Amino acid sequence: MNQPDVTIGIGGAAGDGVASAGNTLAVSVARQGQAVFAYNSYQSVIRGGHSWLRLRISAKKPLNHGDQVDAVIALNQDTLDRHLQELQAGGLVLYNSAKLKPRYEPPKGVQLCPLPVPQLTPAYEKLPVMQNTVAVGAAMHLMGLDFEGLASVLESTFAKKPQVVKVNVEAAKAGFDYAAAHFQPLPKQLQKTSRKWALMTGNELMAMGAAFAGCKFYCAYPMSPATHILEWFAGHAKELGICVRQVEDEISVVNMSIGAGHMGVRSMCATSGGGLALMTEAIGMAGMIETPVVVVNVMRAGPSTGVPTKTEQADLNQAFGASQGDFPRIVIAPLSMHDCFRTPALAFNLAERYQCPVIILADLLMCEDNETVDTSLLDVDFTIDRGELMTEANAQFDGKPYLRYEDTPSGISPRAMPGLPNHLYVSGTDEHDEDGVLLSDVFTDPVRRKKMVDKRARKMDTVLDHVPAPTLEGAVGAELTLVGWGSTWGVLVEAVERLNQEGISANHLQINLLVPFHVKAVTDILSRSKNIVIVENNFSGQFARHLRAETGLVARGHIRKYDGEPFEPKHIVAGVKEILAGKDLVNVLSTEPGWRTDHPTGTSGDWAGRLVGAARSV
Amino acid sequence: MAGKTNRIGLEAVSYRGSKTTLCAGCGHNAISERIVDAFFEMGIEPSRVVKLSGIGCSSKSPAYFLGSAHGFNAVHGRMPSVGTGALLANGTLIAIGISGDGDTGAIGIGQFVHLMRRNLPIIYIIEDNGCYGLTKGQFSPTADLGSRLKTGVVNDLPPIDTCALAIELGATFVARSFSGDKKQLLAILKAALAHRGTVMLDVISPCVTFNDHEGSTKSYAYVKDHDDPLEEVSFVPFFEDISVDYAPGTTQEVTMHDGSKLYLKKLEDGYDPTDKIAALKRLHETQRRGEFATGIVYIEPDRDDFLEQLNTVDEPLAFLPLERVRPGREALEEIMESLR
Repeated sequence: MNQPDVTIGIGGAAGDGVASAGNTLAVSVARQGQAVFAYNSYQSVIRGGHSWLRLRISAKKPLNHGDQVDAVIALNQDTLDRHLQELQAGGLVLYNSAKLKPRYEPPKGVQLCPLPVPQLTPAYEKLPVMQNTVAVGAAMHLMGLDFEGLASVLESTFAKKPQVVKVNVEAAKAGFDYAAAHFQPLPKQLQKTSRKWALMTGNELMAMGAAFAGCKFYCAYPMSPATHILEWFAGHAKELGICVRQVEDEISVVNMSIGAGHMGVRSMCATSGGGLALMTEAIGMAGMIETPVVVVNVMRAGPSTGVPTKTEQADLNQAFGASQGDFPRIVIAPLSMHDCFRTPALAFNLAERYQCPVIILADLLMCEDNETVDTSLLDVDFTIDRGELMTEANAQFDGKPYLRYEDTPSGISPRAMPGLPNHLYVSGTDEHDEDGVLLSDVFTDPVRRKKMVDKRARKMDTVLDHVPAPTLEGAVGAELTLVGWGSTWGVLVEAVERLNQEGISANHLQINLLVPFHVKAVTDILSRSKNIVIVENNFSGQFARHLRAETGLVARGHIRKYDGEPFEPKHIVAGVKEILAGKDLVNVLSTEPGWRTDHPTGTSGDWAGRLVGAARSV
Repeated sequence: MAGKTNRIGLEAVSYRGSKTTLCAGCGHNAISERIVDAFFEMGIEPSRVVKLSGIGCSSKSPAYFLGSAHGFNAVHGRMPSVGTGALLANGTLIAIGISGDGDTGAIGIGQFVHLMRRNLPIIYIIEDNGCYGLTKGQFSPTADLGSRLKTGVVNDLPPIDTCALAIELGATFVARSFSGDKKQLLAILKAALAHRGTVMLDVISPCVTFNDHEGSTKSYAYVKDHDDPLEEVSFVPFFEDISVDYAPGTTQEVTMHDGSKLYLKKLEDGYDPTDKIAALKRLHETQRRGEFATGIVYIEPDRDDFLEQLNTVDEPLAFLPLERVRPGREALEEIMESLR
């Protein structure tokens, strides 16, 4: 990257204000033309635990959270103990010296930046969060950015409480000035730009993408990490005229969505794997009665309750197998933030054109992290394709009885909006004939049963025409082709860049349409690849198996991760090297001090030295 | 020869469905006939009706009435949520849901509970025979304690009283009837069509094949002997100019949402179906005596229904034209401004 990028880690217990300090920092730098990728590693607790938020900041949009922190803001002793050793020469750590003291020697060349918070904010000594504001002010200076950008954010955050604005602006200014007078700035200094960025999550973009593609019905049961989609819809229901309901469980959620979709509304629901498990029965119903519905699964680490606040890509098999029997379905995995915005529109168009369920497989990493987006690049004028929908406006009655499930050459049967005169029908979850009358009770009728299965299956024949095939990124003929799917796109782009810089020629293929599969396009690309390495965030290689099933292609190597944390570029670079050295499977483990299970907070000993070594030996 | 027509000019035949495939003598067939009568007499346009059901013998019955209405056979126990979504998308439809005691009381009890809380405008009928017919007669959760199967198996769990549950949960029209009581069932169904909100109607509907023997508390003979009518129900629709005379204190008059009148002639002990606590007490008392309280158990005609509580546009969301479903660039920029 030509633009300098700085990564700041903010750590504390839940309730210490990690997220709000991070948000203030992110919006402040965004207002100075910096792009941000923020990933928060946290636990399922309301108070306590350890939250570790990393913000990677650069004028050039970072595509992942990186793998090296430059500065740490420690809001509690635990953070200081855990993360001090992660810093490299030139890095620094900010902390409230009235509360915290480093208990280990910092790595060589790392600057300790104690902030005497009570002296800097004497009037507000009793407000514990002042240390956060002071530290954010100091960080702003040390990155080379302006104070005004921060002050304006504090003003808008607390707009309704002038006294709180005053307190915070003073505290932030004190931190900013203290850092200017006492600390060395970071070696990498950020440059202001005039680019405008908005800060948001993949969940918010997915919700917006749906709303702007005509979604008028959304319901959900709260489940991490998909809950923010519900919150976004609830917050914008009135202004955008969308019916939004919180429902008793995911079984009702999806049935309600299908009921609404059946009546002719674009409806969506979202959940995580556990909720999708409850929805599977109805997904089969949508397949059988040929009703469009869009279901988002924001994947988290499973199985069962799993690790509610950690990311994984292990629900691919679940999406393939959701519900009994054979029926057409479409499974899409968005690749990026922009893709989160676009995908619901695509999903709605496909669901309505093919009258089938569409599952969007996103994950915690892309849906909960905060990223800046250049909103001028979002194309909001989505094409709306409602497929062969018959409404009062376009229906013509030719006197013949209406066949809801007519056996057409394309398999797609014109769908009359329920209530349309002369086009009444029964939707049955039993197998039915073209007119909707149940077949299941007819004494053995193999001909009609087969006809209806074929009719539904035939719909999938043209889906690929509506979704662009994946293309190879990077030089054709490279030694290695890294293949990923869904949210790993950003980290793979950077890993490929680094591999090429290190003299290992690599290119990259990212898959976003999983069912149906672009068999020909993918085979054409990969059959010319010298060595295929598949990277995925799960244990068993669910995508690798899918690729082999669809194309017969077998990868040379696999890089997998299922420890709850997302890939970082260095994991992939190191993994590729191991594969080139002869390994065929590399299971990556995040080994930074913060993730060590033998982390000895409260003890002393030789672990600092061991950990520095461990952190570098992925 | 043209038959009698109703107020919208349709004959009764327009309200019929296909030939039943249920057993001869099944209580469900009698209920289907009363539904045909009620929709005909009330002059409801069949194409404005959506018939919803789950799975089971009961849930097959929508095929046997209103053949020219829209139908949705959902999966087992899921009709309440499908119906909720359907009506949120298009509240102009008149919804009738047919469920059974297994579809409601067992696999669908969670959905039933939340449907009752919503006061969704739907007529929810439980065709209640206390057993699973399609799988050859196992007990369902409405079977009475001590009731006996043909095979001699005795039910060892207390029943779920769907009427008491519905009242407790907030349903605004709760009734119980018997498939064999033509007059009462028809009057209740017509009143149900005049109600705005959830109607929960439990109809005891004996299963002639698996649960009509000595020792069953859902047999024709048992129900006839243990029917405890709460009142004499008569209904006068808004479009009929009939005045009913009754002696003061003998009859309760309820004005329905559409202006129709419901007359509930009190039997010996003066039951008041607008008193929630009295309704629950009466249900428990009759159950303790091994009887069925039938009639309108509870009615609250004035509460807002679910659709009136939502802050969306008045017209059905399903009918919005393209230009009104996409908020557009300007709205997006406005939202984005708060994220900068």
